[in-house]
Amino acid sequence: MRLLAFIERDLRKFARNPIVVGVSILMPIIYLVILGNSFQGELKNLPLAVVDKDAGPYARRAMELLRAIESGTRTVRLTVSPDEEAAMRGLRDGAYKAVLVIPPRWSAEIERSTGPELGLFLDNAETISAQTLEAAIARALPEVRTGFVRIRENRAVPALRRVEIYRKIDYDQTLIPGVVIMAIFLGAMMTGAFNLVMDRFLGVDESYFLTPLTKKDMVVGLVASGLIITTTLALVVLFLGALISGIPLWRMLDARSAMLVLAVIMLSTLGIQGLMFLIMGRIGHPRIVGVLGGFLNVIFFFPSGAIYPVESFPAWLKAFAAVNPESYSVHALRSLFFKGAGIAAVRGDIFFLAGFAALTILAGIFAFKRTL
Amino acid sequence: MTLAIETTGLVKKYGGITALGGVSLSIPSGDCFGLLGPNGAGKTTLIRILTTLLPPSGGSAAIGGFDVVRESGSVRNVIGVVPQAMTSDLDLTGYETLDIYARFYGMPRKERAERIDELLGLVGLKDRARDLIATYSGGMRRRLEIARGLVHKPLILILDEPTIGLDPQSRHVVWELLEKFRSLDSLTILLTTHYMEEAESLCDHVAIIDYGKIVALDTVEGLKKQIPEKDVLEVTVAGIAAERAVEFAGALPTVTRCLARGDVLVASTGNGAEIIPVMVDGLKNLGAKVTRVVLKEQTLEDVFIHYTGRPIREEEAKKVSFLLGAGIPTRFGR
Repeated sequence: MRLLAFIERDLRKFARNPIVVGVSILMPIIYLVILGNSFQGELKNLPLAVVDKDAGPYARRAMELLRAIESGTRTVRLTVSPDEEAAMRGLRDGAYKAVLVIPPRWSAEIERSTGPELGLFLDNAETISAQTLEAAIARALPEVRTGFVRIRENRAVPALRRVEIYRKIDYDQTLIPGVVIMAIFLGAMMTGAFNLVMDRFLGVDESYFLTPLTKKDMVVGLVASGLIITTTLALVVLFLGALISGIPLWRMLDARSAMLVLAVIMLSTLGIQGLMFLIMGRIGHPRIVGVLGGFLNVIFFFPSGAIYPVESFPAWLKAFAAVNPESYSVHALRSLFFKGAGIAAVRGDIFFLAGFAALTILAGIFAFKRTL
Repeated sequence: MTLAIETTGLVKKYGGITALGGVSLSIPSGDCFGLLGPNGAGKTTLIRILTTLLPPSGGSAAIGGFDVVRESGSVRNVIGVVPQAMTSDLDLTGYETLDIYARFYGMPRKERAERIDELLGLVGLKDRARDLIATYSGGMRRRLEIARGLVHKPLILILDEPTIGLDPQSRHVVWELLEKFRSLDSLTILLTTHYMEEAESLCDHVAIIDYGKIVALDTVEGLKKQIPEKDVLEVTVAGIAAERAVEFAGALPTVTRCLARGDVLVASTGNGAEIIPVMVDGLKNLGAKVTRVVLKEQTLEDVFIHYTGRPIREEEAKKVSFLLGAGIPTRFGR
């Protein structure tokens, strides 16, 4: 009865702060919309100026290939400039990301095979754009000498066939697991241990310490109310995120997968709630929570693999990702959402999350001080 | 005589600071006992030890026969506490607060509904019971917190400065409430205060506490009888050295103590009305100009000075972290 009363107290207080509820849902959604539309996976429409001083057959062929990229993958947006100086000025002013200069007699040098070279001037202040442009042009150049389209496949050349083993997934859709985890993190930040900090800040904690409520009642009560609120928020964010990014989750998830998703969300919530108890258990001012919130979000979210693959991290960051609960949450949710995975694929994640939650909540109970 | 509260040589130390230096008290059941003292005297520390919020550094204390350290759970069941600060949740209604607290004590639904209804009627909050506490005035919150402390029908009600910060009208309402509950529920009441009037109005016995020690303990009348100086005379003078004026006034009959606060002479006397003309004439004869004379009854501060020889002082400042401000208190802070 004591525990339920304590949980009810928290739920009532949270329900009376609808702005907090709204922000908790809105922020991950805004994150999805902004990040999904700004990163977009592959880069597109990078402005490239071409200065053709050759005007020979191979230069014309190179221009055709670049135009093919422009209308195909749309990696570049082409501008033909007769004036090299103006083009270079545009590069420095930011009008172009690169300038490709085809030198005089380039076609002749190709014919004679005397080491023909193109000049590619890159705005390397933006490394991602520069690398993408260089790769796109480098891929196209070998085709310069191919004057026709082969009707028959050249069986002598090894071919690479791209086979996607899962349904087509857009970049913003790949963000959904991360967005759900962000909702869990925000929910955990604003419930559970945060209520303890607020109670302490307002002096309300003293009145609870004077009752028969035990240390366990308080920690478990706060974690339980946080679990109810955060899980609800995460499910709402998942639903809205799926709607916005066009994932028909309700068709993709069968009952068993849906239960697994729920389990992963709840275990992730419990783990982060427990962690917050450990970190915030003795803080007495909400300002500190605000500072810690942004800090912890960066620490846990970015190395989770939600934005960038863990495999590409340096060794020290990989080591952190290996103990970061959000890495396991992201992996499990990605497997369940996009790969149609079953329990076998997420068993390890669930074990880790369950262990992490148990450990942090027990440590939270141990560390929590039930005296003033 | 059954003892509701008993402490023996209770000590509390914070690092090198002794907040309580061996407090021994015996409070019989049904008594209303007042702990009187200035801010920082150790009243709240004593209350927090008795209510299980702080562990003592030494000595022992029992409430309702239960040891506050070894049987803290049982102690919490027999006490109701109204802390010094307002501690009710602003986002809950008055009714919800009482209901949730009653459930902490495991009260069955029917019993708690009846008790809450009774208490809300007694504290005059029935009409506002469904409103958020955030909309309550300070006096209403205090009345609700008294009801909250009594919701589980405790044997002992402990109040830490129950009327601090309240306007005089609300203060009287709280006093009336405490009298009412005391007779209705046969309560033992322990309260701390630094208002003499409050102690006089409510308490059967009063202990004066200073620097963590009980310096006097008696009935209110008993304490007053021990103070020979009933009046305080304040005389504003000019044209005379303060030392000379103090020397003159201090030598007058029935004046037991005299000091100068700026250009005001403050004299403690057993009969202020008789001494006024003598003092005024004498000062004039010494060449002083008397511009103002005020005769007052002894206050808590005078009673306190009598027992401790020092004026009431401000509480020592708490330290907070250099790096985190008020976020995490620390002994190494500013």
